[in-house]
Amino acid sequence: MPLLPKTNPNQILSPQLLAQLERLELVSRKIFRGRMKGERRSKRKGQSVEFSDFRNYVPGDDLRFIDWNLYARLEKLFLKMFLEEEDLHFYALIDASGSMNFGTPTKLEYAKQLAAALGFIGLCRADRVKIETLGSSRRAPGPTLRGRKSLWQMVEYLEGIEPGETISLAQGVKDFCLRNSGKGILVLITDLLDKAGYEAALRTLVAQSMDVYVIQLLSPEELDPDVKGDLKLIDCEDQDIAEITVSRPLIDRYKRTLAAFLEGAREFCTRRGMSYLMTSTETPVETLVANYLRRRGLVR
Amino acid sequence: MSNLFTNMLTGWQWLILAAIPPLIVLLYFLKLRRQPVEVPSTYLWTRTIEDLHVNSIWQRLRQNLLLFLQLLLLLLIILACLRPGWQGTALVGNRFIFLVDASASMSATDVRPTRLDAAKEKIVAMIDQMKSGDAAMVISFSNNAKVEQPFTDNRRLLRERVNQITPTNRTSDLSEALRAAAGLANPGRTSQSETNEAQVADAMPSTLYILSDGGFAKVPDFSLGNLEPQYLKVGEDRPRNVAIAAFSVGRNPDRPTQQQAFGRIENFGPDPVSVEVTLHRDARLIDATKIDLPAAEFSTDPATQNTACAPGAAGVEFDLGQLDEGLLKLEIVQADALDVDNVAYAALQTPRRAKVLLITSGNEALRLAMLTDEAQKISELSLAEPSVLETKAFADEAAQGQYDLIIFDRCAPQKMPASNTLFVDAKPPSDDWEFGKRQGNPGIIDTDRAHPLLQLVEFGNVHISNGHKIKPPPGGSVLIDSVIGPLMAIAPRGGYEDAVLGFAIIETNEQGEKLVNSDWFVRLSFPVFCKNVLEYLGGNAGAPTLPSIQPGTPMILRAQTPVARITVTTPSGQKIDLSRENQGSFVFATTNELGIYDVLEGTANQTSQRFAVNLFSSRESDLHPAEKVTLGYEAVPGVAGVERSRKELWKWLLIGGLGVLIFEWYVYNRRVYF
Repeated sequence: MPLLPKTNPNQILSPQLLAQLERLELVSRKIFRGRMKGERRSKRKGQSVEFSDFRNYVPGDDLRFIDWNLYARLEKLFLKMFLEEEDLHFYALIDASGSMNFGTPTKLEYAKQLAAALGFIGLCRADRVKIETLGSSRRAPGPTLRGRKSLWQMVEYLEGIEPGETISLAQGVKDFCLRNSGKGILVLITDLLDKAGYEAALRTLVAQSMDVYVIQLLSPEELDPDVKGDLKLIDCEDQDIAEITVSRPLIDRYKRTLAAFLEGAREFCTRRGMSYLMTSTETPVETLVANYLRRRGLVR
Repeated sequence: MSNLFTNMLTGWQWLILAAIPPLIVLLYFLKLRRQPVEVPSTYLWTRTIEDLHVNSIWQRLRQNLLLFLQLLLLLLIILACLRPGWQGTALVGNRFIFLVDASASMSATDVRPTRLDAAKEKIVAMIDQMKSGDAAMVISFSNNAKVEQPFTDNRRLLRERVNQITPTNRTSDLSEALRAAAGLANPGRTSQSETNEAQVADAMPSTLYILSDGGFAKVPDFSLGNLEPQYLKVGEDRPRNVAIAAFSVGRNPDRPTQQQAFGRIENFGPDPVSVEVTLHRDARLIDATKIDLPAAEFSTDPATQNTACAPGAAGVEFDLGQLDEGLLKLEIVQADALDVDNVAYAALQTPRRAKVLLITSGNEALRLAMLTDEAQKISELSLAEPSVLETKAFADEAAQGQYDLIIFDRCAPQKMPASNTLFVDAKPPSDDWEFGKRQGNPGIIDTDRAHPLLQLVEFGNVHISNGHKIKPPPGGSVLIDSVIGPLMAIAPRGGYEDAVLGFAIIETNEQGEKLVNSDWFVRLSFPVFCKNVLEYLGGNAGAPTLPSIQPGTPMILRAQTPVARITVTTPSGQKIDLSRENQGSFVFATTNELGIYDVLEGTANQTSQRFAVNLFSSRESDLHPAEKVTLGYEAVPGVAGVERSRKELWKWLLIGGLGVLIFEWYVYNRRVYF
């Protein structure tokens, strides 16, 4: 590990954004058992300074938590319960396929920014942050990070992600699930444009009982294609060819198809308890994090 | 349907044109060199165009706006080449003669701007319809015909010549124009000198288009031959027009020293009108009056469908007092369809008395009859004895035309004088006249009362003892017929007229005694006859008003002094020199303008005589266009020419094509897709 980071984190995370992100924290709707004590209040009762409730003593309870003051007054044994604080597992899974290498900035860069932003929030709150791509293998998994000091490491890893992974969405997700069986928050950043379909991949995630956020990234060119004339469209991933003659009806038709596709994905996710968010790369990352994701409950 | 399109292209040109649309479609399919574009994923695109692959050719065609615009442009061009139009009838035949009426009535403004302009417009429209190879000629006519352009297939030239036709103030007469047209259409009948500049038409049937309001007389004795006449009526029915039909100046019958101006105003419109009439003298308004005119009465002839118009007329009268000099202009103030007939000209001029020489040996009766008050007003009588005939002075005076009239009573000169003559009981010194021998009791059978000399002259109570039978030379006419043969005759001689009376009134026998040969001199008819002689043979000099002719009619002028050249000044100030014709008169033919013409004799700078040119033609003033015109034995019904003119669409089609082209360019550049 080099002493100094090769890359400037400003490229991915600007100081302003970092300052903004420091105030945020990741939220999970599910109760997770962290492996280490963290800064996060758990619904589990445990050791902390934050009082939660009293309960009757039953034999076997830890005597340290008996409220002796109450015993002195009532001559009954009550146990003082505290909310336990624990850490959170945050996973960011980035789709680094060829199709993500489009747009200005490219969807992949945007995905990296987003992952970095969310990851930084997690690092600030002493959560366990793990960022991976779909193509990460069991032998070269992404680093597991904790603490603010790991920011450089995270950024460096993100910088090293190159587009052009050829793994399918379903396979990549499956591999990820095999590698990471724990609970936590999973943010899947992808464009969902997989000819085999996204359903199998998402179903795999459902079985994982993670708090899954699917963020679908689309570039403006995909949302409102600005193409003219007779074109031969070449798929950058599989070199598939589609010949079109652009006309207003065709554009309208495309938009209808796109809307149906997005609606289908949204519905698919909602039905399975996943949060779905479609965003264009035109939306600034800070806006996305500060507004949209906050509204969705991922951060607060 | 065949009228809808006019083929402008030949067969192979059509083939080329027909090959273009398939070529465009072919090029469109060949053009499928699509621009490769790399996209993140064809996933959505493939799903989008999945169902479009059905009927993909038609889908492509349907979606290619540019292709359709190109085809539309081509279609417009093809349509333009077909020259679509409507309401047009194909011109009949391929030889056309356009007769354009340029008479005064065609200046009427009931059709804007004028009837003539409307007619010209129609001709130009018809010329535009001509197919290549068609030939046409243009003749304009008023009271004479003018070949504006002989047969040619040069449409530009034809249009130019048609546009050069100018309106005239003349009356209309179709016959000369018809003869000119027939001479070119039916060669072998006559030949026209104008044709040597262009090809002469072969004997081919021609269509004769007469563009007129029909305001001309029937043309009898005309055979159309190869001509197929079409009468294109120009003008609206029953337009409003008020015209001056007559204008003259005369003496007030009650007060002979005073003069009056008389005008006759006619209303040819369907409604009664009230018009203001002004009288100007030398461009100064001297009088005005307002008169009410009844409406014209229209009656339709059931046979010809022509509407005859009896104009509502009224007279105007202006007292001029003692005025004896000046140019008078009568004008109708209110504007109407025709302006030319709203003005009339006349002139007051000092009556010049006729110079008359009476050569008699004491014929007191004749002398007295020639010296009555009335006679003295119009003549200046000189008396001479027959002996004067021998003198050189008389011979010179007679040859120079010093006298307007010389009366030879029972004597004769050696040579006929240069003046009008009356021979009483004497034979003119010419072999043309035959003078029979003296016969007794020549009872009068008949007199020619229509002749001005014998107007109001009653011979019923006149007895004659002896007389001579007279035979005038060819061209002469007998005025008094008697049991022994003609007793009086008149015959023209060059520019003059000679009258011969075959009996004496008072004769002298060998003893020098005066004998009465006739009791005519005690009858009332004798001084009347003498006054007639002074008025008629003495010339028009006694008339206070000046002669008026219609525009285009030649004016025959006679100089009062023996000069070789005279100068006529037209109302617009143009000066025209005339030289003397053979018969001692001057013929002035440039009488197109309305107004007063001044005549200067020789080098004199004082106007010696004047004449006026006024329209005064009911036929021209009656603007109601004739329904039919009669040419020879054929009545040609009028066609409202407007419907015949073809409305062409090709210009609009080409403009539309240009619009499509601009739109296509816009679509191509802006990538507007629907």
